[in-house]
Amino acid sequence: MARLGIRAQLLLVLTVFLALPWLGVEYVRELEKVLRESQERTLAGTAQAVAIALHDRPRLFDAPVPLVAPRGGPPTDLVDAAAARPALSAGASVAAPELAQILEGLTRTTARIRVVDRDLTVLARGGSLRRPASDEPRSRWIDRVYALFLDRPREDFVDDGGSGSVPARREVIAALDGIPATDRRATDDARAVVVTAAHPIWVGDRVRGAVLVEETTNAVLAERNRAFERLFNLVVAILLVGSVALTVYATWLSSRIRRLRDAAEAAIDRDGRVRGSLPSSRARDENGDLARSYAGVLERLAAYASYQEQLASRLSHELRTPLAVVRSSLDNLRASPVPDEAKTYVDRAQQGLDRLSAILARMTEAARLEGALSDSARERFDLGEVVAGCVEGYRLAYPARPFAYAGPDGPMTVDGVPEIVAQMLDKLVDNAIDFATGGTIEVTLARDGDRARLTVANEGPPLPDGGAERLFEPLVSIRPKEGRGPHLGLGLAIVRIVATRHGGIVRLRDRAGGRGVQVEVELPLVAGGPSM
Amino acid sequence: MSRRIAIVEDEPAIRANTADALKRSGYEVAAYESRAAALAAFRTRLPDLAVIDLGLGDDPDAGFTLCRELRAMSPAVPILILSARDSDVDIVSGLRVGADDYLTKGASLPQLTARISALLRRADLSTQPPLAEDVIERGPLTLDVKRMTARWRGAPVDLTLTEFWMVHALARHPGHVKDRDALMREADTVVDDGTITSHVKRIRRKFQAVDPAFDAIATVYGMGYRWKPD
Repeated sequence: MARLGIRAQLLLVLTVFLALPWLGVEYVRELEKVLRESQERTLAGTAQAVAIALHDRPRLFDAPVPLVAPRGGPPTDLVDAAAARPALSAGASVAAPELAQILEGLTRTTARIRVVDRDLTVLARGGSLRRPASDEPRSRWIDRVYALFLDRPREDFVDDGGSGSVPARREVIAALDGIPATDRRATDDARAVVVTAAHPIWVGDRVRGAVLVEETTNAVLAERNRAFERLFNLVVAILLVGSVALTVYATWLSSRIRRLRDAAEAAIDRDGRVRGSLPSSRARDENGDLARSYAGVLERLAAYASYQEQLASRLSHELRTPLAVVRSSLDNLRASPVPDEAKTYVDRAQQGLDRLSAILARMTEAARLEGALSDSARERFDLGEVVAGCVEGYRLAYPARPFAYAGPDGPMTVDGVPEIVAQMLDKLVDNAIDFATGGTIEVTLARDGDRARLTVANEGPPLPDGGAERLFEPLVSIRPKEGRGPHLGLGLAIVRIVATRHGGIVRLRDRAGGRGVQVEVELPLVAGGPSM
Repeated sequence: MSRRIAIVEDEPAIRANTADALKRSGYEVAAYESRAAALAAFRTRLPDLAVIDLGLGDDPDAGFTLCRELRAMSPAVPILILSARDSDVDIVSGLRVGADDYLTKGASLPQLTARISALLRRADLSTQPPLAEDVIERGPLTLDVKRMTARWRGAPVDLTLTEFWMVHALARHPGHVKDRDALMREADTVVDDGTITSHVKRIRRKFQAVDPAFDAIATVYGMGYRWKPD
């Protein structure tokens, strides 16, 4: 499975906040609805107010009134329809100025007010549907983005001009039937929506005409757009700041966790031994808790490991006193007059005792080694000299076994305890001799970059399947031959301890061609010559 | 007059066995099982030599204390520590509080007896002038085999018996490599490889305390040690 870091996870969680723009859209829609309703109410109110002003003035409706522009009204779309309709213009001069005067006082800049009689003929009008052109610059990139999904109010719609007669639309008919009504419709070219409020004009108990107040929804649209843009800008800003903050936080968090992981990894070596402790954390959050708890676990683990490591040593120590009792008793027995046949048994007891003592000595060897390595006995020494000397010694010690040694040209300086390294080589050679079925034991020391590689190879059977790693564990031994003293399989375990404590590694592998086994020990070299 | 050896050992079987062996060798033996009992007896009468176990009863370090107390009473009484413990720390601590030698319980009774007689002989002879035939000279090194004492450039080097015999084994044939087995045999002691290493280290340190330039003992890796001929 692909790895999903904390940063990625948090950013994924952040996508929840993408619901914010949707919320904004809903909110803006509600806002638009309210604005529209209030626009309708306002228009209805205006229509009513105009109608009230015109109630019970029969004079105004006695004759058709030709349209006259109110003074001061927007001149652009005022088209005198009287010329086009000469039949209606006769005798209409009485009421026109009065109507126009009344309308003038009620005119709003963005609404058009018309008064119609029962024949749908426009008696008077004022105001305009078009709003004054806005000079707002709309060149920012964000505006172009918004333009993709927001309807822009447009003022270039086609308008019928408003003179002459009005079509018999629903709200007009309702008003002429005495019922105030509002309606909305698109302009003929569908570029804008016009809201119309119609109100009857009563003369006595008869409806003599109606007031139509019309306005485009452009103002509402503009308001809605502005609200939406503001909201959207805010959300985008919050999302940006939020994701940056979360990313920074997640980076910090994951770096702390990574540090903890690295420290935890470093605290335990390949063999599962606790090699150090965790830096104590003072953080008062879960990460700090985790670090502290891990440190506690490591401490207990180290205590347990050290108990186990000391177990063999303690055990052998405890066994020493009873062994001494047996030994001293045997010594005394030997000095006393014993029958000859009993001497045989004394000798056997002595042999058994010697083997037991040797086993005990080996059991403490690893623990003793740790002690010898941890003291201040470290020095810089020439590894080549030690290995060459040791091989000479092996030739004397095992005259029946040929040894081949290939050493480096110059000195190889290693920081450590030469006697202990010699002891490690003893174990390697011991092992090689045990497994050799014949041939030469080959010891090679070579430089490999900044490391020294020591190889001990023997001819013989290959490694058991899967057993190579286990051979490094204490008390595990796969030994082809019996004899040659007690064996606890501590040899390779000790080799590993020595190599590890010198900063090196041990590898056990089959030789090429299945000719046998070779153990490689790599130790880091230090610059400069030996200290002695 | 037979010599009187004090044995301080809390393990009854070992105490009795050791006492029997020493009696057989002609010593008079006084055995004590605790520090208090031994100390009380020492106040009345000093032994000619004391064999002290480190752990007595519940106190693992009672032997050290007793050793110091006995040394305070007499600077001359030879003290031999016989302990199951064989760590460097224990050996060094034991020698520091005044013991003359240190044997682990892996040693056999004949080894112990030999060691005791050597210690007594050294104590006896320390007051007499050395005889020429007992002395081995190897350049700046002078070994008095009878008294088991060593001098380096005229200055005495305070060696334990084990250490003395190791130096003796090395210096007798300068240039010859002595392996660990040979050193152990000559020093008549039972120690493992690691302990030989620390013995040699301690010997070097003692000589270096007298002469910082001392480097007569060379390590021949994989084989042993040799005394560098001048």
